[in-house]
Amino acid sequence: MTLLRSPLFRAFLALLFVVVLGFIFNAGGSFLRWDTHRDMLRQISVFGILACGMTLVIIAGGIDLSVGSVLGFSAVLFALLSLRLGWPAGWAIAVSLAAGAACGLVSGGLIAKFRIQPFIATLAMMVFARGLAKFISGGQKISTAVLRPDGNYGYADAPAFFSFLNSKILGQNIAVVTLLFLLCVAVCGVILARLRWGRHIYAVGGNEEAARLSGVPVAATKLLAYGLSGFFCAVAGLCQAAQEVQGDPETGTSYELTAIAIVVIGGTNLLGGKGGIGLTFIGAMTIGYLEKILSINAVGEASRLMLTGAIIVGAVLFQKYRK
Amino acid sequence: MALRMTGISKSFSGCRVLDGVSFELQPGEVHVLAGENGAGKTTLIKILAGVYPDYSGEISWDGERLKFKSPAEAAARGIVAIHQDLAQVPSLSVRDNLFLGRERTKAGLWMDYRAEAAEATAFLKEFGVEIDLRRPIGEYPVSVRQMIEIARAMIADAGAVIMDEPTSALNAVEVERLFAIIRELKSRNRGIVFISHRLEEIYRIGDRITVLRDGSRIGTEDVPALTPDRLFQWMVGRDVTGQFPPRTPSPGENVLEVRDFCVADPSRPARRAVQNVRFDLRAGEIVGIAGLQGSGKSELLNGLFGAYGRPPGGSVRLRGRPFRVTSPSASIARGMALLTNDRKRTGLVPEMGIVPNMTLASLRRFSSWGWMKPRREASSADGYMRALSIKARSLRQEVGTLSGGNQQKVVMAKWLQTEPRALLLDEPTLGVDVGAKHDIYRLLNDWTGEGKAILLVTSEIEELLALSDRILVMHRGRVVSEFKRGEAGRERIIQAAMGA
Amino acid sequence: MKNSGTMMLVAAAILSAAACGGRSKETGPAGGTAVETAARWTIGMSQCNLGEPWRVQMNQDLKTEAALHPEIKVVFKDAQNDSLRQRAQIEEFINAGVNLVIVSPKEAAPLTPPVAAAFTKGLPVIVLDRRVLGDQYTCFIGGDNKSIGRAAGAWIVRRLGGAGKIVELKGLMTSTPGQDRHTGFREGIAGAGLEIVFEADMKWLEPEARKEMESALSRFNKIDLVYAHNDPGAHGAFLAAQAAGREKTIAFVGIDALPYEGQAYVRQGILEASFEYPTGGKEAILTALDILNGKAVPKDITLPSRVFTKDNIDRGGEWISGAKTPQ
Repeated sequence: MTLLRSPLFRAFLALLFVVVLGFIFNAGGSFLRWDTHRDMLRQISVFGILACGMTLVIIAGGIDLSVGSVLGFSAVLFALLSLRLGWPAGWAIAVSLAAGAACGLVSGGLIAKFRIQPFIATLAMMVFARGLAKFISGGQKISTAVLRPDGNYGYADAPAFFSFLNSKILGQNIAVVTLLFLLCVAVCGVILARLRWGRHIYAVGGNEEAARLSGVPVAATKLLAYGLSGFFCAVAGLCQAAQEVQGDPETGTSYELTAIAIVVIGGTNLLGGKGGIGLTFIGAMTIGYLEKILSINAVGEASRLMLTGAIIVGAVLFQKYRK
Repeated sequence: MALRMTGISKSFSGCRVLDGVSFELQPGEVHVLAGENGAGKTTLIKILAGVYPDYSGEISWDGERLKFKSPAEAAARGIVAIHQDLAQVPSLSVRDNLFLGRERTKAGLWMDYRAEAAEATAFLKEFGVEIDLRRPIGEYPVSVRQMIEIARAMIADAGAVIMDEPTSALNAVEVERLFAIIRELKSRNRGIVFISHRLEEIYRIGDRITVLRDGSRIGTEDVPALTPDRLFQWMVGRDVTGQFPPRTPSPGENVLEVRDFCVADPSRPARRAVQNVRFDLRAGEIVGIAGLQGSGKSELLNGLFGAYGRPPGGSVRLRGRPFRVTSPSASIARGMALLTNDRKRTGLVPEMGIVPNMTLASLRRFSSWGWMKPRREASSADGYMRALSIKARSLRQEVGTLSGGNQQKVVMAKWLQTEPRALLLDEPTLGVDVGAKHDIYRLLNDWTGEGKAILLVTSEIEELLALSDRILVMHRGRVVSEFKRGEAGRERIIQAAMGA
Repeated sequence: MKNSGTMMLVAAAILSAAACGGRSKETGPAGGTAVETAARWTIGMSQCNLGEPWRVQMNQDLKTEAALHPEIKVVFKDAQNDSLRQRAQIEEFINAGVNLVIVSPKEAAPLTPPVAAAFTKGLPVIVLDRRVLGDQYTCFIGGDNKSIGRAAGAWIVRRLGGAGKIVELKGLMTSTPGQDRHTGFREGIAGAGLEIVFEADMKWLEPEARKEMESALSRFNKIDLVYAHNDPGAHGAFLAAQAAGREKTIAFVGIDALPYEGQAYVRQGILEASFEYPTGGKEAILTALDILNGKAVPKDITLPSRVFTKDNIDRGGEWISGAKTPQ
């Protein structure tokens, strides 16, 4: 495959195109400052983490519509445990991550064992997890607000872990959530490129029947992929809760669409069997820059939405023409 | 009023499949089209039915020249084909399928369900078929669905009906019903092209018969006037020997002992595709399985391997110990390997490269604690590329882009990596060029020399005769004959395969 | 690659068109695509959402006042009710090098750090209507929701003659206006014999208020008055009562008193009273100008408020005692 035809290169071209646009429409020099780029990275990180799990699931031949809701559920759970019940950070984190993974495993189980179509199973989980989020939060946001004796609300300090996740390090040059995003990318990279399980994922997505007849454990492969996706949703949920300094049962609504858009624009094939995490990372940067450029130029919401939709279609067509 | 095909020729990618074939269908006759697999029958009828618009030669009906660009055009002209994979929408109702593409409407817009129901009921009553028109057609067994296809052809007022192996999925009672319908069609002066392998059927229902071999028409004759011996001769023709390496078999211990083995038809679980099969397979031996369409030979191999899960009956012993057939991974672990007859669909992951495809069935050998060892993989793949003479641009090439022969070799390499004791090969040289075929024959010899046992299914009789130490012939799911090397020639094999 | 080249050109064309088109609509005073005299100062304004009519009014008030001062240019951004997006917008203003930031935050906690970041960098920040935590901002402008709540409470006590059953429909209780309008109200009715039979958080939204009122109506046969924290909420409650045929037996009181909304409701007889909550748009621009011209400004500016009832609506309402005299 010549360099020009490699998916990574084409994804990179699309990213380059968007960055060049940023230099052209740089909103009076904003685009040229490192801070803008650092902020863009931080804003796309939560979506990027979701997209990591989504990449695994899509390469395995499925789809996960529940990522936004599981993010919301984990965020609320984390806020509940640490803000309202005062659990130590370690336990709150562990339980929230486990809860997210459990949601993913349930979806995966429905798909792998009961042969329910991924679209339907994860759609059901999307609705169910949102309901769970509202249930454990009583429909209200869980925040650091406390009722003071004089009848007013005051705000307690957020626990240290919250502030840490919400902060920037290395001289304020990179956000902690961005580092988490990069970590998730690395983990997925290792899985897909170096682990036997990763080989299983590609085979199952590429030709499930051939994989089965070759002795690949198809059900287990799918189950783990969805489980890990749920885990990543929980990681993203923790980041979201820390940034909003609250557990909002509505948070994460429609995030799955952005996650899927990131994977698609990166160039991973929605049908499965091909693609990789590098593509998704570039896709995240592309969408991140796109939104940032629109935002610093104060483009109105309506135009912004229409443009994003048009560019997603454009990016996919661009990839199709590689054949 | 005859439907005539004159001088029909067709090539696929430079490979000549039909060579100047002529065929004629008279109204009110059942004209049988016979020949071995690959003789060109299916291609010929697909040309007639408008599926292949690209051919040389002429088709005319009643003197009028016809050239179809699509099956819809052929159907509009009154030529309807009932293929083996029925062109029905399983989720739509019987009524909807009957009128698919020819819906009865009011003013061209509104569906006229009542007219459809009336027409359908009238037709089906004549067939003696009682069904609920509103149920989804997918709920009915294949035999009923075939009836519906025929009814559909009649509703379309087809003048010529082509049936491709219509009885392959039917039981005896359903075959009778089918024949009754065919006689009914005859009485209405419809012409029927009937492709079949089954001797008893040809002689019962056929009026005339045309035999194709290797893309050419060998002869056309009235059925009563053609003896079975001459029929076999026409089908089989000259022997092509000399392209097989010599074999000196020295069979050893029993690798596989199969008793009373049954396999359920995967698309129709109530029916047995394989019934009470019994045989032994010894180390160093090649046992060939002959059979025509619907004989169950592929299902036997798939069933033994566990591709369909647990079989409904029978017992298997593998290297002297009882073996429970459960799943592919269990069979692989015990030393069985299955090369399927459809490598694109079930043998390869087309978008993965050569190396990962080769190691797919034995990933544990190339990983430790779940961590892949790419260098081990690459060197092993390199070895197999050389040993099997696989030609590719590079190791990273996607297997979907390799030629058929090289693809087949990649699949073979995959199975060899699992170090199997028993190899189940289903059409190993299907779609493989001559050079690669030679290589594969050599390999089979090498493997049996090493003590592996091979169960070989192939539709090419020469291959079967040259490679097999023993031949089992299957017909309708049972083993009907067994021959040792040299005991039978082509004619005898085909006879047995056709049920004689 | 030929096809992809066309694709890129098309995409570039769309983007440029949108960027130009989008921008002119949002920046500058209304109708500002004409030749702009070089504005001396740029002000960045982040509105938490434009779904509430009161906020649309706030932006309008800002625009109207800014139009009178050609030396300033205001860039408006709408955070679509997303705290994280609002935080991003403040950061973008910092990076764009604006001279002053006006922000009406969605929630206090997530917006406190970015506002503080701007403030400590020396960029003046005016916080409108909802507070942030701490004191890292230049100036807070808002009505005194507590005293409005108290005044509403007192008015309701007089109206009901000291006894009655009340439904309280509350605004978003994680935001300061909601909290203040609630605590002020409770202070205002303390001691009188009024009974709160039902209270719910309708999040400032009319459909939510309607839903909550429907629940209240089905549970209680006797309701004398509904106190909603904003006029859309009061209106939603009215519609629910109307659907149940009980609107004549219940009095409705709201807050905001926008001319075309709350005040109109009072004229139409839907609301018995509406308490004005000034948007502060005009005051924000004037204060901004003071800051940019180097004058000192107070840390907190409390805006005065009026009450509108059928009797006084033509007179322009009545100033509530306890509020500062108008400037």
